Amino acid sequence: MDRAYQRTRILTNHLIPNSPAQTVCLTSNECLSYSPPELSEKYAFDVGEMRRLMDGHDVEERDRLFGLIIQSKLFNPRVRGGKVFVSPDYNQSMEQQREMTWKRIEYLSERGVFRGWMTGKGEDVEMKRFACFEVLGLFDHSISIKLGVHFFLWGGAIQFFGTKHHHDKWLRDTENYLIKGCFAMTELGHGSNVRGIETVTTYDSNTGEFIINTPCESAQKYWIGGAAKHATHTIVFSQLNINGTNEGVHALIAQIRDADGNVCPNIRIADCGHKIGLNGVDNGRIWFDNVRVPRENLLNSVADVSPDGKYLSSIKDPDQRFAAFLSPLTAGRVNIAVNAVYQSKVGLAIAIRYALTRRAFSLKANEPEVLLLDYPSHQRRLLPLLAKIYAMSFAANYLKMLYVKRTPQSNKTIHVVSSSFKATITWSNMQILQECREACGGQGLKTENRVGHLKAEHDVQSTFEGDNNILMQQVSKALFAEYVAAQKRNKVFKGLGLEHMNKPCPVIPSQLTSTTLRCSQFQMDALCLRERELLNRFVADVSQCLARGESKEHSFNTNYQLAEDLGKAFSDQAIFQTFVEAEATLAAGSLKDVLGMVRSLYALTCLEDVTYLRYGYLSVDNAAAVRGEITKLCSELRPHALALVSSFGIPDAFLSPIAFNWVDANSWSSVQH
Amino acid sequence: MASSQHEQVLVEEKSFARILTFNRTKQLNALSFQMISRLLELFLAYEDDPNVKLIILKGKGRSFCAGGDVAAVVHDIRAGGWRAGANFFMKEFTLNYLMATFSKPQVSILNGIVMGGGNGASMHGRFRVATENSLFAMPETALGLFPDVGASYFLSRLPGFFGEYLGLTGARLDGAEMFACGLATHFVPSAKLPMLEAALCAVDSSDPAIISSIIGQYSERPPLKEQSVYNRLDVIDRCFSQKTVEEILSALEREAVDRREGWISTTIQTLKKASPTSLKISLRSIRVGRLQGVGPCLVREYRMVCHVMRGEFSKDFFEGCRAILLDKDKNPKWEPSKLELVADSTVDSYFSKVKNEDWEDLKLPARPKFNLPPYVIAKL
Repeated sequence: MDRAYQRTRILTNHLIPNSPAQTVCLTSNECLSYSPPELSEKYAFDVGEMRRLMDGHDVEERDRLFGLIIQSKLFNPRVRGGKVFVSPDYNQSMEQQREMTWKRIEYLSERGVFRGWMTGKGEDVEMKRFACFEVLGLFDHSISIKLGVHFFLWGGAIQFFGTKHHHDKWLRDTENYLIKGCFAMTELGHGSNVRGIETVTTYDSNTGEFIINTPCESAQKYWIGGAAKHATHTIVFSQLNINGTNEGVHALIAQIRDADGNVCPNIRIADCGHKIGLNGVDNGRIWFDNVRVPRENLLNSVADVSPDGKYLSSIKDPDQRFAAFLSPLTAGRVNIAVNAVYQSKVGLAIAIRYALTRRAFSLKANEPEVLLLDYPSHQRRLLPLLAKIYAMSFAANYLKMLYVKRTPQSNKTIHVVSSSFKATITWSNMQILQECREACGGQGLKTENRVGHLKAEHDVQSTFEGDNNILMQQVSKALFAEYVAAQKRNKVFKGLGLEHMNKPCPVIPSQLTSTTLRCSQFQMDALCLRERELLNRFVADVSQCLARGESKEHSFNTNYQLAEDLGKAFSDQAIFQTFVEAEATLAAGSLKDVLGMVRSLYALTCLEDVTYLRYGYLSVDNAAAVRGEITKLCSELRPHALALVSSFGIPDAFLSPIAFNWVDANSWSSVQH
Repeated sequence: MASSQHEQVLVEEKSFARILTFNRTKQLNALSFQMISRLLELFLAYEDDPNVKLIILKGKGRSFCAGGDVAAVVHDIRAGGWRAGANFFMKEFTLNYLMATFSKPQVSILNGIVMGGGNGASMHGRFRVATENSLFAMPETALGLFPDVGASYFLSRLPGFFGEYLGLTGARLDGAEMFACGLATHFVPSAKLPMLEAALCAVDSSDPAIISSIIGQYSERPPLKEQSVYNRLDVIDRCFSQKTVEEILSALEREAVDRREGWISTTIQTLKKASPTSLKISLRSIRVGRLQGVGPCLVREYRMVCHVMRGEFSKDFFEGCRAILLDKDKNPKWEPSKLELVADSTVDSYFSKVKNEDWEDLKLPARPKFNLPPYVIAKL
């Protein structure tokens, strides 16, 4: 048969010489078929080592938790393009999302994930807890907030404000979820200004009970995570009124539901309703109508009331007393800052992987279209943000260490650093996610592709645990106080990274070469210079107001523009410092070389900030040199882009379909599936 | 065209299909170095051959393939040092990677024993056909080794924590169980295999959908036996999701008290008989593998297997082979002898680069940048 066929074909060719010997096969065009970036991009350094540097700790614990999530049906695994992705079904109703969040927590609890979180002690336990939060946050913001409220706010309040009998009574049950806690601080009328809350507690010495009341509508507790559905207990913040004297804000434990989930007598609870994100968290509102709780429910590490109704406190100064009450919020802020870093990592990993596989426009006719990331403009959009998130990773690790190694002396530093990092990193997270969303084009709008949806989920980060603007103002105020104190005592600066103020003012060369621009000493000098000059200027302007007889508050309020710039300068400098320190731990090699370029790109992106021109710290020529160097660094880092996002250590399942085979994920056969 | 009878891999060319048959029945078709080299050669040639659209792999006799020829490896190491053993695994893992990323579908007909290296030669391919004669196991921990040949990739992707269960205990599965958990893509009664083979040989396409539907015509949904462990996936999940081997064991012991089911105590006994070092590195390997592509899994397993061959942290592999394969006293003396004596730092060492001059990580063969089918791309 075959031979006969061949003969006829040869004959045909003789007779009709121009007939095509073979039918032209329609093969799919190269630029339209998906090619995994792993096959074309090379890793110039060990991405595992880079990941260990960036995650910083508990890598194995993280991977185990990733595995627990991927292997359970509760985490909504879906197959797209042959790969499994996990992410909540955000198309579910608010009620369903809340129930799923709760079921996931139960599953993790049964698997022992929270073991030791409340009853364990030490730096290792706290670091491991942070690591778990980072992993869970990569799955969903709701689950991490729901856990954060229970462990860090409710549990943290008992640990920090409570004394031994509170610890003995509540911590184990909290760890095992026998009770579900929430944290009622914010009210409709008062958020950031906690000292102004209106809930009132009085004491009845006849029965030995406190009586909690919501005296007016603006005093209703608001945004209380967990209150709308699940929480059985709450920490109540209220003004403590003893014998007609207001002793200021204090915290008590109150039960709000019984074990069956029925709301307790004299408590009214309403739902905060649907939100722009975080619908897996049941935020609620609480009213207290003469709610009586035993005297022992006052968290009494700072102040106590004797059975016969006398107010006793070891801290006489009400300002300090109040400050002591805010300490658990520090842990929350650390968590938020760290979590924001990981959200940006998700966005960047997705956008950069997409840019390494998606093509648009040919440079010449009949040429394949160009990969998005091969456009200098696309590099310029994404790579400086990548550098930023590297810097912020190191900053987050530093912040965690600062927190777990806390001492009474370091409280101020922790407060200032956590405030500034929380604000800077969460703002940057929103900016990064927006850029990544746009860089993914229309695909960025699909919820399953995560980038766009993460914006809505994390928008709240700039508000909760302290409004970013207010936190940044506090940073500037703290720096002001530090300056004045040093001046008054005629002493050197010590702490808050201000030691550079003791040295002579750095000089920026009038001609900036590429070598200078990439030198970490120059970069540090430029960042310190801006901080120093802005602090000097801020102190001078505020002092001038004070000299005119204005109040301190008014003087700060009117100099808000400088305060903002100063806060940012402090943050950038402090973050850069952590980068330099992380880099210094590495031995010479390709990893260090690439990281050095990333560090330069981060520093130069900071130097590109408008403040350098606004206040004249850089000449127009120098500013142009900085921008020129940024584009060079972008093109030099382009070959490392895949390795740099792979080093985030985020499992494929936690990214999204457009980060992988987006052609197959959208094929007709996948529709029929 | 037909291969001579003494060849260890028989090759038949049937139109666009190539049938490769393991022919080493006395050793239950255990993979020799020669067989691996031959397969590698054939697969590489078929990749570029437009006249090949489908590869069928099967075994002669009652076994598909009982594993790598470990006894020969041990012999080679005794004669020529650990590098001889490493060389065997380098070749085998390279073949595993090539199969996992092969641009044309591979249909493996698992009509008999399929263990260890036999799984490496089949599970990475697109189609795995089980029959009522199939007998699956990854029994390495009983041998002082760990589930290799890319098992940290395919075991970790089974439902729940079934992969940990199979990899740590070496538990055996029948064809129905293989199909239920996804190790097999189809179940075809052995009586229908000749017809299936004939139908596949008539195929002129590499389209997995077409091939799947052909196999589908001969497939059945086999019922799981009532006492199948796969029906106890809830218990397996609870126990084998634990963080450490020690915690897995105590979880099993708690379940044993509550349930008094035979398989639980069997599982506990098996774990207690296995090499403690093997158990720990196996668990870690599966957990890490769950988050890696097939290439990185094989690179990591190659590091691990080199450490095992070198025997610097533990010589359990040689002891296991002595007790199970050579002396057959089935009484290996593991060292360290208990789980708690295996330090975390020792486990870590198995995952590090081998500190030896001119040792290199496994170099994966280059794959075509384009035209890889989606099911291959998804594994990268």
